[in-house]
Amino acid sequence: MTQALSIQSITAHYGTTKVLEDLSLEVAEGELVSLLGASGCGKTTTLRLVAGFLEPTSGKIELGGKDLTRLPAHQRNIGLVFQNYALFPHLSVADNVGFGLKQRGISGDAKTKRVNAMLERVGLAPFGDRLPGALSGGQKQRVALARALVIEPPLLMFDEPLSNLDAKLRVDMRVEIRQLQRANGTTSVYVTHDQEEAFSISDRVAIMHAGRIMQLDTPETLYQRPANAFVARFVGFENLIPMTVVARGGAGVTAEAAGGVRLTLSQDQFGAIPDAFTLACRADGLAVTTSADGIPATLGLRTYLGRAYQYQCDTPAGHLTANGPLTRPLEIGAAAKLVPVPEQCTILAPE
Amino acid sequence: MKRFAGWTLSTPATLLVVVFLILPVLATIVTTFATAAGPFAPYLGFFGSGFRRTVLWRTIQVSLATTAISVIIGFLTAYVVSRSPGWLKSILIIAAVFPLLTGVVVRSFAWLIILGKNGILNSALLSTGLIAEPLSMLYTQGAVITAMVYLFVPLMVLTLVGVLEAIPDDLLQASASLGARPSATFMQVILPLAVPGLIVGAVLVFTGSFTAYATPQLLGGEAQMVMGTLMYQQAMVTFDWVSASTIAAIMVVITIAIVLLMTRVARRLNPMAT
Amino acid sequence: MTRSIHPVLIALTVLVFIFLVGPLVIVLGAALSDTSYLTFPPQGLSLRWFENIFEIEAFRRTIVTSLEIAFLSTGIALVVGVPAAYALNRYRIQLPGWLSTLFILPVLVPELVLGFSLLKNVATQFHAPIFVSLVLGHSLLVLPYVVRVISASLAAFDFSIEEAAISLGSPRLKTFFTILLPNVRSGVIAAFILAFITSINDVSISIFLTGPGISTLPIQILAHMEQFFDPTVASVSVLLMGLTVAVMAAVERTLGLTFFAK
Repeated sequence: MTQALSIQSITAHYGTTKVLEDLSLEVAEGELVSLLGASGCGKTTTLRLVAGFLEPTSGKIELGGKDLTRLPAHQRNIGLVFQNYALFPHLSVADNVGFGLKQRGISGDAKTKRVNAMLERVGLAPFGDRLPGALSGGQKQRVALARALVIEPPLLMFDEPLSNLDAKLRVDMRVEIRQLQRANGTTSVYVTHDQEEAFSISDRVAIMHAGRIMQLDTPETLYQRPANAFVARFVGFENLIPMTVVARGGAGVTAEAAGGVRLTLSQDQFGAIPDAFTLACRADGLAVTTSADGIPATLGLRTYLGRAYQYQCDTPAGHLTANGPLTRPLEIGAAAKLVPVPEQCTILAPE
Repeated sequence: MKRFAGWTLSTPATLLVVVFLILPVLATIVTTFATAAGPFAPYLGFFGSGFRRTVLWRTIQVSLATTAISVIIGFLTAYVVSRSPGWLKSILIIAAVFPLLTGVVVRSFAWLIILGKNGILNSALLSTGLIAEPLSMLYTQGAVITAMVYLFVPLMVLTLVGVLEAIPDDLLQASASLGARPSATFMQVILPLAVPGLIVGAVLVFTGSFTAYATPQLLGGEAQMVMGTLMYQQAMVTFDWVSASTIAAIMVVITIAIVLLMTRVARRLNPMAT
Repeated sequence: MTRSIHPVLIALTVLVFIFLVGPLVIVLGAALSDTSYLTFPPQGLSLRWFENIFEIEAFRRTIVTSLEIAFLSTGIALVVGVPAAYALNRYRIQLPGWLSTLFILPVLVPELVLGFSLLKNVATQFHAPIFVSLVLGHSLLVLPYVVRVISASLAAFDFSIEEAAISLGSPRLKTFFTILLPNVRSGVIAAFILAFITSINDVSISIFLTGPGISTLPIQILAHMEQFFDPTVASVSVLLMGLTVAVMAAVERTLGLTFFAK
């Protein structure tokens, strides 16, 4: 009984500060969408609005076609998993999991059965009688997950659920969460500031900044074809080089950057190139060479990355970060050419 | 030097408490077991006297009533205060701290003006015609309890606002997200989590009222004698220091027994401690 | 959070706060009345009952005594209490748990019992002057406040700052005065103020340690009330309420009034 979530041009304020501006988001049935961004970007606010802990200034929230906007939190029937687990410290694990069922008037055997089945699924069957205080962080998060799942909500929401766990557990838990979510086919919204976590777990990711969604796409598209400079930087394109086309010939386009630096780019590799654009390159996307044509650079600090050397470079087009092969380390002050590697670069249209 | 630094620094305060509190109080208690009439004679005398038993029983009644009323009023008020928006919360806390920091004499005196024969309550009732002649409200158990509740409600409210604010917002949101109505959240989450704090507050109020002097003296007088006023009378009016020491010993034992017992209960009930 | 509170609860809260503040407003009104008996609302406005306080020698004398005792006992409590609170926080591991209980013992022992025991076993037994016994009693009364407030501000103090100063060559004692004290200054001020007002307001200890020669203000108020029921007591009460307001303003500036709800 999973349902689609529809957030329609929501604006929200804390006091007089606007925290969300005209935000819209559609999450399809059974889909897991992450809200990704730094703290203060509005991702948690969005979640709290959907959960009913905040009221939007304007806009509408629908779940399965039903308007939730003015419904009190306790009538929304949304499963929530909190960052700090938010387990009731005075109730046993089983009573924590059974809390939502109790509110729905389910008691006795029916309740016990569902609680036990759910504890079984999250691997905590022997812990039913314990108090949450006696559990490890990972176990607490499993209880929180079980508590949210057992009420069979049409929508699950996660608020940075793994940020209090250590690195190894974090990876294990996110696989587990994804498996449980897939198995139930529950529509889910997942809030996190961890890019790897969001990309690994989600069907689609919304990258948020200053109360707006900068781009909503599949992880693959976000990673390879960011739509704007903010998202490009966010997913690791260190070098953004503004360029203007000076000549077009067949598939090849010659463009010029600051300082008179000229590059020839192939539209077969980059797609249609507009007259003014920004060339976005990861450090791996600018190869440090001594022979070929490219951006002339003076090499600065060299750091060792394991798979390559990274150089801080001074160029006529500005400061750039580029990687060079391990076979031939170059010294500070050496002159080199930086050549764009098309697979690690992309073209950003003017905003 | 470092190994003993902690001890060195805490010695003056330790000496002050040991020499001028523990020893004198112990001496007071010990004298009651070393009377010419035999070790337990003062206690047999105390519990053998119908009047004194009445005083003890009245003190327990007054203290229990004060505690019960203060806990209920204090908890409900603290709940509203803790849920109030910031500016209002500050005003309410100021309004509770003000009487708390005002002396017991001033606060009891206020009720003397209100409840007196020619007091404000009587004048108001007379002028509305609800009563034909003034009621005698002073020197009743009700007067003592009212003023005592007045004494302790601010303490209770402030203690419990602290307790309620310590309950993470997350828990209340989790409860709502699981479908609990506000009343269910109150009964199933807030109340159980506040119980340890309620017990601590109740102990403060009970021991405070059990050993009170100024308020029962002013509003209860001779007619409503309690342990505190009886002890003062024995010590300073009839100069029967053995009897006063006996009352002191009973007060100390009951107070400390309740404090120890209830803090243990509160600790056991406190799930946040684990 | 949608903060919906049941209207019945709100109504109850309003009544409770009227109950809390109303009686003190009545005292203020009665103090301003021009009548020779206590009444509210005041009939005619006059400050003559305030003047009357200072015309009565016993009030003049006990106000001075109360101030002396409050300053002395708070001073003693700070001198012994600040190092004790510091030791409890800094050397928690080497000190036994019961030590912190020891310093709150004056709260657990009924004040009446302490006052009577000081009278019986210190003042009478060892012929200690009543004034000294009073100061000792009040020092004990306020010690728990001092230890608690200072501990609270030390709990937020990062002792590695102190170690940093020592590693930079500052002697231990000097570090205490130049690094630690300035950092807990607001705690010390708040402790002083709270201890001061607690001492000024005390009845239960002082009642045993006063006599013909010596008395404190609250005890004098009680004595005055037994003989006269005029607005003088109301105006003394208003003076004390003024002191409360000053204390609250000072606490608000140091710890913040939310300190009381902790």
